[in-house]
Parts: sequence; C-alpha cells; structure tokens
Amino acid sequence: MSLLKGLKARARSIFAAGATEARMEEEFRFHVEMEARRLQLAGVPVAEAQRRALVAFGGMDHHREAMRDGRGARWLEDLAGDVRYALRAVRRSPGFAAAVAVTLGIGIGINGIIFGFVNSLLFRPLPARDPRQLVAMFVVDTRSGDIGELAYDDYRDYRDRSGAFAGLAGAMGVPLNLVASAGQGAAPAAADMVWGEMVTEDYFAVLDMRPALGRLFRPSDAPQGANPFAVLSYDSWQRRFHGDSSVVGRVVRINGTEFTITGVAPRGFRGMRTFSFWPEMWVPAGMHDVIQPGSGGVLNGRGRGWMLVFGRMRPGRSIAETQRDAAAFASQLAREYAATNANFSVMLIPAAAGYDHPGFVKPRVLMLASVMGIFAAVVTLLIICANLANMQLARAAARAREIAIRLSLGCSRARLTRQLVVESLVLAIPGALVAAFIVRLSPFLEQYMVPRLQFRVGLNAAPDYRVALFTALAGVLAVALFGLAPALRASRPDLVPALSSVIGEKRRGARQGGRLRGVLVVSQLAMSVILLVGGTLFVRSLFAARGADLGFDASDRLLMSVNLGLQNKDEQRGRRFYDDVLTRTRALPAVVSAAWAFPVPFDTYGRGLSLYVEGAHTRSKDGTIVIDGSWVSEDFVKAMGLRLQSGRDFTLTDSAGTPRVMVVSRSLATRLWPGKDPVGQRARLGGASGTEITVIGVVGDATFASVGTGAVARAYIPLRQRYRDWSTLVVHTRGDPAAVAPQVRSIVASLDPTLPTFGVMSMRDAVESGFSTSRMAASISGFFGVFALLIAAVGLYAVVAASVSDRTREIGVRMALGSTPSGVLRFIMWGGARLGAWGLAIGLAGAAGVAKSMGSLLFGLSPGDPVTFALVPLVLALVVLVATYLPARRAVKLDPVAALRSE
Amino acid sequence: MAPRHPAEPDALRGSIDLLILKALSLEPMHGWGIGLRIEAVSRGRLEVNQGSLYPALQRLEHRGDIESDWQNTENNRRARYYSITRQGRKVLGEEVEKWKRFAATMDMILES
Repeated sequence: MSLLKGLKARARSIFAAGATEARMEEEFRFHVEMEARRLQLAGVPVAEAQRRALVAFGGMDHHREAMRDGRGARWLEDLAGDVRYALRAVRRSPGFAAAVAVTLGIGIGINGIIFGFVNSLLFRPLPARDPRQLVAMFVVDTRSGDIGELAYDDYRDYRDRSGAFAGLAGAMGVPLNLVASAGQGAAPAAADMVWGEMVTEDYFAVLDMRPALGRLFRPSDAPQGANPFAVLSYDSWQRRFHGDSSVVGRVVRINGTEFTITGVAPRGFRGMRTFSFWPEMWVPAGMHDVIQPGSGGVLNGRGRGWMLVFGRMRPGRSIAETQRDAAAFASQLAREYAATNANFSVMLIPAAAGYDHPGFVKPRVLMLASVMGIFAAVVTLLIICANLANMQLARAAARAREIAIRLSLGCSRARLTRQLVVESLVLAIPGALVAAFIVRLSPFLEQYMVPRLQFRVGLNAAPDYRVALFTALAGVLAVALFGLAPALRASRPDLVPALSSVIGEKRRGARQGGRLRGVLVVSQLAMSVILLVGGTLFVRSLFAARGADLGFDASDRLLMSVNLGLQNKDEQRGRRFYDDVLTRTRALPAVVSAAWAFPVPFDTYGRGLSLYVEGAHTRSKDGTIVIDGSWVSEDFVKAMGLRLQSGRDFTLTDSAGTPRVMVVSRSLATRLWPGKDPVGQRARLGGASGTEITVIGVVGDATFASVGTGAVARAYIPLRQRYRDWSTLVVHTRGDPAAVAPQVRSIVASLDPTLPTFGVMSMRDAVESGFSTSRMAASISGFFGVFALLIAAVGLYAVVAASVSDRTREIGVRMALGSTPSGVLRFIMWGGARLGAWGLAIGLAGAAGVAKSMGSLLFGLSPGDPVTFALVPLVLALVVLVATYLPARRAVKLDPVAALRSE
Repeated sequence: MAPRHPAEPDALRGSIDLLILKALSLEPMHGWGIGLRIEAVSRGRLEVNQGSLYPALQRLEHRGDIESDWQNTENNRRARYYSITRQGRKVLGEEVEKWKRFAATMDMILES
C-alpha cells in the first residue's frame, strides 16, 4: 500500500510538474514565514527576522534544484537537451548521419528479412481459432518404429469413438484438372493442372476459420458424393480469379465434373503442412469417387493409409493427456481389428504453426543455406556496428578535450555517457526507418529465393508483428553495440593528458582510443574476409555448375507435361494417347525427334526405383538399393540428347510381354557392377524375389538437379513395359522450341480437348529456373561479401586518417629531422598494413572453417579452393592499400612548420 | 549545462531521514514543524540546514515511507502536512535498531 502511495507521489511529481513546483514554492514560503514569525515573537525586528529566517533556510535555489533532481524532472529536461544536442551534431555532419542511416538500415533490415523467413516457417500460427489446441496425428508401427499416415476407417473411429479430440479432420493432396474461366469477359476457360487437397467435411470446422469470402465446408455437408463444392485458397482467388468476389457460386469443372465454388479460405492459409505445395483449392473427400474413380484405399482401410490427420484437443487437455487418450484408443482398435491394427500406436505433434511428417528430414541444403544466411546477416550487422563504433570513437576522440573539460567541471560520467548514447539513438532512428522499408521487401525477395516449381511453394514471408519486434530489438542491440562502448570509453579519458594537450603534450588518451579502434578494424576486416570467401566460393560454384557438362543437350528442346490420371484414362487409352502424340509430333517438319520421359532433367518431380542386385553393397534390410528412375519411351536418348556409351536405346519392341530391360547411367553401372561390362547384367525389381530386369545400354551421367548432384545413379525404364499416367514430352526441334510449342499443344488438344498440359517450356528455361536458387544464393552472398569489405575499408580509412591527425606533431618533427616524404608515407601506411595483415590472418582462419562446413553446397570445387583463397587476400590487400594510401598522402603533404605549431 | 550540486554525504542523508521519521512517528506535521522538532529534541546539537528537509521529505514520500496532504494550521493557514505510513513505521523501527547496534559497536571499539 505504502509503496503504491510512493509511486503515485512520484508519478504526480513527474506528470504534474507545474503543480509540484507550485507546491514546493508554497511550502518554502510558508516555512520562511513561520520561522520569521517565531523570531518576531522572540523579539527580533521584522526586517531582521525575515533575513535570519532566509539564512536559516539556506540557498533556496540549491534546495529547488535538489528537489527537481530528486523527482526525475531533471532527467527529462536533460534528455530533451541531449536530443537537441544530438540533432545539432547530426546537422553538422549530414554525410555521417546518412552513412549511419544507410548502413545500419541495411544491416538491421537484412536481419529482419532472414528472421521473417524463419518466422514464417516456425513461429507464425495458422489463421485458425486458438491454434495451440491443434495437433497432428500419425500412426507408429511399434515393431519397426516407422511413422505413417492414418487409414480412413481408423481416422473415422478416432473422430467418432475415441473421445480424445474435440474434432478430428483429414486431408490428402491431389493434382486436379481445373477448367475455370477467370471471370466475365476473360479468356475462355482453359484446362490447367492445379494441386489441391481432398479434405474431410469437418476440415474447416476443426480449424474454426473465418472464410475470406462465402462459406467453407460444414460437417453437415456429409453425404458422400452429394456435395460437389470447392473452396479456393486466398492466393488462388487473387491470382486465378483476380480477387473477383462474384467467384462464390461460380461453377468450375474439376476432373471433368462440375463443382461449385462456395468460398475462399482466409488469407495466409496455405494448408497444414510446412514443407509442401500450397493447395490451390480444397474439395470434399466425399467426392473422391468422382475425382479419382477407381483408386481404392482412400476412403476405407485400416492400419496405414493416406490421410494426413490433425485435430483439436479437448478444452483444458494437454498434448500429453490427449496422446494418452489416443494411445489407449489405439490399443482398443488393435484388439478389435487385430489383423490390421495389432502393431499400431499413435503419435501426436503440435500443429499450431503447421507441421510436417515427423520423419521428414528437412533438405540438408535448405538447412545449411538457412544457417549460412543467418550467419552472414548477423556478421554483416556486426561489421556495420564495429564501423559505426569506430566512427563514434573518432568523433569522441576529436572531442576529447571538450569532454575532459566538462568532466573536470563536474559533469558526471553517467550524464556524459548518456548524452553519447542519446546521440547514437538519434543517429539510429533514420536507420530503423530504412530497415523497416527493407524488411517490407521480403515478399519480393522471396519470389527469387524460392525455387520455381510446377506448384506453388514458399514461405509467405510477409512481415508480421514478430518481425517488427525482432527488427526493433536488433536495432536496439545494434545501437547498444555501436553507441555504448565508445561512449563508455570516451567518458573515461585520462583527464590529465587530455587537458594537458592544451599545452602541447602528447595525447595518451587518444592513443588508447586508437588501440580499441584498431581492434575494431581488425575484427571488421576479419569478418569481411569470411563473408568474401563464402561469397566467392558460391559464385565460383555457380559458374562451375553452369559451365559443367550437364550430360544431356538442353538446346532446342521443348518440354510439355500431361497427367492422364486427371482425365480418368485407363491404361489402354493412355497408351494409345502416348502413341498418337508421338506419331503426330514426329511428323511435324520442325521436329528432329521426340520421346516421352518422366521425370526429365530439372523436373519439379522425382521418382524412386528400388533394385535388388546380387552381391551389391547396401545398408537396407531387404538388400535393395533405392535409386532415381525415369520412365521413358523409345528414342529417349536422341530426344534428350544423352550420350549412349554402350548397348542400345529402347525400341518399339521393348513392350509389354517382352522381358524387362533398362538403360543405366554410367555411375549406376560403376556402382552396381564395378569392373564388369554392365550390358547384359541382371537385377530384380523391388526385392530378391522381384521380376528380373536386364541392362541393355549405358548412357553418360546426366545432371537432373542443380544442387547436391555429384555423380547421379539413374535407371531408365521403358514406358511401354511399365505404364505411367504422368509423363513429359521431350521434343528436339529445329530452331526455336517456342515456335513448335503451339503445334504440339494443338496436337494434344485435338486428341483430348480438356486435358491440361503443364510445364510447357524449353529445356534451357527449365535448367535456368533450376539454377535460380543457386543464382540467388550466389548473388546474395556475393553482395554480403562486397558490402562488408566496403564497410571495413571505410573503417580502416577512418582509423588511418585519425592516426594522421593525432600524430600531426610527430610527423612534423620527423619531417623537420629530415625524414623524406616517402619515409613518412611508409611509416603511416605500415600502421594500416599491419591492421590489414591481422584482419586477413584471422579472417582466413575463420573462413577455412566456414568453407569446410559449406562443402556440400559447393559444386565442382573443394572448400579449400585455391583460386578463392588466393583471390580474396589479393583483393583485400588492394583495398587495404587504397584505404591507407589516401589518408597517408595527406600526411606527406603536411607543412612541417604548421604541423609543429598544431595543437 | 549547470554544474550539479554535490549531494549530501550518505551518513547525513540517512540521519535526516531517520530524524524526520522519528519526528513524524509522534504526530503529522508540516515541514517547519518537523525542523523545529528536530532542533528541539537534539537541543541544538544537530544543525540541520532547514531547507534541506524538503528534498528529504520528497524522497521519503516517493519511497512510500510518508505521505502528505494540504491541511489548515491552527491559525487557519494552508500548509502541507506530512504523516508517517505503516511502511515508514517499519523502516523507522529497523533503522533505529541498526543505529543502536552501530552505536553499541562503536562504543565497544572505542571503550576497549
């Protein structure tokens, strides 16, 4: 209670400063009057009593000041003074202020952007009600520990009978053939393949989302097959339908059936999975038979299945309690359905910010790239702070005498430190504004960083309040780093030397400041060497990758993909379609050759193949080796421009009913049959008891992806022997492939007018977009390196320049004693070169470590790349030379007499 | 910037606080009254600059040891009256204890 009264009194004294002053005056007056009256009563004459009372009270101004100090009003007044003073200082050196704003802004902004990316992956909650209550559920095979998705019948039982959840929903990703017009007056509806999700009817109810438009699915939409409704993602609504609000109620065709768009999901909702495609639309799982007729095991089954299941926990229940309830129900199911569920339990993971399969290993490349990005951003900010600290020190050194005089006049250190910190803060505010602007660029930057695939992926890195908070925090920390240390240093000069420099003594205080600045410059140089080495390695790696032999011919090749499953084509009709397209395409005058292949180099998608080879080394339990596979038609070697090293290409006779054959890449051949002729070797498909398959040819290794390549083991399987309903037509054209694209498209359209084609582009473009992420990484890291070096160079320049002005007298003496100008030049530059050498040595040691950990991101070079490690020191030496020569030249031009008279 | 006034030594500052609390523990008083009381009880041996009471009063009030409000004196003049809070009484008790111990220790050292 009393404490509260105290706080109230304190607050009143600050916020009602006028009333408090008046009260003080009244109390003082009252006191003196009372005292005077007492003296009068004791017989002292009026005037004398008044005088004595005043004397006894003591210096009134003194007491007033003491009270003002005591209530903190003084603090505020001083602060205003400090801010005015700092603003004056900014106006005096606008160039310096601009340099602070720009460098600090970039430094903080970069950190904000990087944090924004991390934030959108890990921290940003789903736009659902109370997302903390959401959990994802997987089944665990208790024998092998394998984690998998649920089967539909089990999901339904967990939802309806377990009592463990307030709600439980499931989803399954599907490619959809969407035929929709963008709106009235827009181009006629064209077929397009989009990725969506089939979801249980309570999907949006469990999330408890508010639609951006229209309505979402309701649990009452239940009856199977009777609700041809679709919900659009916000993103799809904006891009595909231009945000047209009349989209609700519009009828579109999905896989040939009419669906009505009922609503648009809230902005920012991109499905439940973190590392996955962004679904463009959601359709009820109840419509499964219409969307994917004939594919069983989706809306039934037990044990392991296809449903990505998540639920909302019952109010007040923890995830551990819910896990216990669900596991108990799993045991019950294991008893009820021993045949399918005997060895299955469940596993719950939090899903507030989305989730991934617990067994999903985030791509190593991605993780490493993130760590590198964070490292580079933080180091850059540190370099910038060191540089600003350096400049502040230089300014403080220039004011050493002023500061010494003020300290000797009784100004407290705390007061002086605060003034210097306020100055840093005032300098930092424009920097913060620049940073805020830069952070807003992150969605733009993201476009270039996220790989371009045939479906939408990304981070959705729009800045939110967490990013703003982080950026502000980074700014405050930066100011503390660059403002506080120099302020502490500057407010503690040795008073005697600083003052005695008035009479021409050596400035020891300034010298010591010089040493701290030397350390700062060395660390700046060292850090920029690390970034420069990293950047150079990335850029060289990109050039190496671009210059490398891809193993196939990317020029004059056209790609076009189809997914026949979307049109519900059976195998027989599918085969006929493939044949018809090939025949008609090959007949085009501008076509050299054509083949079906999937996946093709730099494809968005990939397929694995497991082979069993007698005697081959493997770590898997069943003795198989999992490799990349491509399913191709005859003539694929010519059409893709691969190099046949031995054996033969597939022909029309490698068809269903003839013995299984395959073509292998050189490195697969070397791996499976080292030292033997691979042609004629046999393997088994899928396991020791699988179908036998014979190698009939070997092609040179081809690069299928831009990173993590190395020697790729790949098997090519004839499409005629193993039908796949998804394939890419590869056409070797005469001249520009773009010119042939409309002709090939019209061939497809004439065979099946509603079949969407996708990924229509030249092979050259596919390779380019495959390298887009590497290119972005190289440009960003190159930018970091050069930017850091420039800043460090400015720091070095400032230190050398300051040492010249500090030692003007010394230089004068040297010159008067006969030192030649080149001697003085050498003497000054030696100081800068020493700093440069230290920075280089420390930086190279650090860079060697960083480069080593980057190893797996580099293409075709070793982490100790001699070119990089020769080039970077050379560049650094050049920069050091320039940064020290410019100020040193000033020293040479000094007039010895004037120099001696200085100070 | 105006040079700052040197603060009172800590010992004196502490003793002023203690004397004020002691004075107020008897009855609420205005500043002048407190000064008078201190002078009277110390029988003039402790010379306190009268004006320096006020920063001390403000400090104690901010700390919550005392509170104040406007009241009228017997002569019907408005004056700021200070009174001790419950916390103030506790502080006074502790401080008196401390002083006594300190004085006893000093005594012991000086007498030995």
